[in-house]
Amino acid sequence: MYRIRLHGRGGQGIKTGSRILGSAFFGAGFEVQDAPVYGAERRGAAMSAHVRAARTPIRERGVITRPDLVALVDETLLQVPAANVLLGVDAASVLLLQGNGDAETWRARLALSGTVVVLPAAGERAEAELGGARCAGAAARLAGVISRPQLIAAIAQELASLGPVATATTTAQALAAYDAVAPHAGVLRESRPAAATAFAAPEWIDLPLESARVAAPAIFAAATSVEVRTGLWRTMRPEIDYARCNRCAWICSTLCPDSAIRVRADRSPEIDLEHCKGCMICVSVCPPQAIRALPERAARARELAAAP
Amino acid sequence: MNPALRRMKDLPSTHLLGAGSAMCAGCGGLLALHEICDLLGARTVFVNAASCMTLLASYPFTPFRGSWLYTAMASAPAGAQGVRDALDILSERGRLPPEQDLTAVALTGDGAATGIGLSATAGAIDRGLDFIYLCYDNEGYGNTGQQSSPATPLGARTATSTGAHGHPASKMDLFAIWVAQRPAYAATVIGADPLDLARKIDRARALKGPRLIHALAPCPPGWSFDPAEGVEIGRLAVKTGIWPLKEYVDGRVVHTHVPHPRLPVEEYLKRQGRFRHLFEPGRDTRVLAQIQSQVDAYWEQVCA
Ligand SMILES: Cc1ncc(C[n+]2csc(CCOP(=O)(O)OP(=O)(O)O)c2C)c(N)n1
Ligand code: SF4
Ligand code: SF4
Ligand code: SF4
Ligand SMILES: [Mg+2]
Repeated sequence: MYRIRLHGRGGQGIKTGSRILGSAFFGAGFEVQDAPVYGAERRGAAMSAHVRAARTPIRERGVITRPDLVALVDETLLQVPAANVLLGVDAASVLLLQGNGDAETWRARLALSGTVVVLPAAGERAEAELGGARCAGAAARLAGVISRPQLIAAIAQELASLGPVATATTTAQALAAYDAVAPHAGVLRESRPAAATAFAAPEWIDLPLESARVAAPAIFAAATSVEVRTGLWRTMRPEIDYARCNRCAWICSTLCPDSAIRVRADRSPEIDLEHCKGCMICVSVCPPQAIRALPERAARARELAAAP
Repeated sequence: MNPALRRMKDLPSTHLLGAGSAMCAGCGGLLALHEICDLLGARTVFVNAASCMTLLASYPFTPFRGSWLYTAMASAPAGAQGVRDALDILSERGRLPPEQDLTAVALTGDGAATGIGLSATAGAIDRGLDFIYLCYDNEGYGNTGQQSSPATPLGARTATSTGAHGHPASKMDLFAIWVAQRPAYAATVIGADPLDLARKIDRARALKGPRLIHALAPCPPGWSFDPAEGVEIGRLAVKTGIWPLKEYVDGRVVHTHVPHPRLPVEEYLKRQGRFRHLFEPGRDTRVLAQIQSQVDAYWEQVCA
């Protein structure tokens, strides 16, 4: 059985990617399961999707804790502990990572002993939503049991309702990824179904049953949501060029949906990067175009380089 | 008009709604809510019906400075009634000084406002309930994956309107339904025009009785557009006349902005994936003409 876990952010097409991959396996004669997993959060927040494919009926259920392949659409998720990207990755697993850098560097950085395949990142904005489809295309090639026509047919089937243009761009991206990882075709191996006796209980913590006052005490503090770091959702970062800024912060700070632009005493704006979700509305409404959009990946790399 | 709200510059520069909430990046509903909170102040009780915004306050986190009550989807106005009654009882018994009184605000999506919650709303208006009903309208059941609601516009593709011509019915006119019941106040707003919105909230705040604030809420995933374009799409909704900005006060409807020249509706439609099938692969001239003629007819009647 192939057990494949896709990781990305809401809006990067992870769910669509898993549907495409599932349908492609199905077209190649496999039994298939595919299911996305996401919480209450929205676009930009970490999510995953789980695909199982086997030549015999699949009896396993639920999230994949021992993956044969982890396909990561957005490498910045490695810094988000809750995303749990590397859960269960061992020497036998393959990590497919969409991003920059070479496989050896990533293996060293992540201390992995298994195979790492890097899928060069696509263009930043327009193709971001196709990350899931790109990873599906690459995963299909890594498995080595899905042909080009089978991949194309799966995309046509899954995107039929979105029209011919969306289908064509998605197909082009998925095929580009399918071709890009050709040297690694077949590197992904099926693993055996897990024996029930091998089941390891999750590492959960048992909480004693307590009265509601203790288990869920009343909270009187205001605006506690600031404890949630929605800045981790961001794939693009707004950056103010203060030399060009007109100090008209009533514009950008009012139009930021997330209350993430503070107005300083001198009427200049300050972006709260712990909470900015990277919608880029401020970039599009700033009259003198004093805010630019920077890929979060590049911004973090720059910060790392500047750190002592 | 409040002389303190003449220019954009006069808008509040500190923001009351906390960051860190679970709405999508670029949510047009959140944009309107954050602007509204700055004018309403902290002394509010938001009464929510099941919707995207239910995720705003999930224990132990809340972006609000005041209280929050979550009700069943049909019941926000009934919840607001209970809150108002409780406050009134406290006041009568001298246990709530006037300066500590709170405003009850029903906060729901269009699905609750135009569909399942409409009957509870009609009852609350009929009883003259002193509350503000804030409907953020993303034109569908957003939280469950954007199925059609009565507020879905003609021609839009939704999870349940997948036919070649999109949604077959026209958008329900919630504002007109409210006005027919002679409420204390009703207004349409949009986050993309914060000054117009601020003046209306300022006016609504000073009144008593049932008050509607109906905010069009561009929704990146539901309408399928890049979140960066949310404000521009909102402005186009106003400039094309698709979303008339108006208020009902003292028994009269007044348009607070008459678009002139009025842009063709296509300028608004073509920016959104939910209308893409009207342009690709071929133009759906019938539906496009129908949408334009509905908007034309509206403004002819306004300007007559
Ligand atoms: C009685 C009832 N029916 C269905 C649901 C499921 N439900 C939860 S949120 C939602 C969508 C509500 O749509 P809308 O009011 O427009 O708010 P939005 O999600 O778009 O913000 C639905 C159908 C529910 N909670 N209660
Ligand atoms: S809108 Fe632009 S110019 Fe004005 S304060 Fe904000 S960043 Fe500066
Ligand atoms: S990108 Fe700009 S508008 Fe969007 S959340 Fe960040 S600061 Fe606010
Ligand atoms: S689905 Fe739409 S309305 Fe709901 S949180 Fe996202 S942007 Fe806002
Ligand atoms: Mg809705």
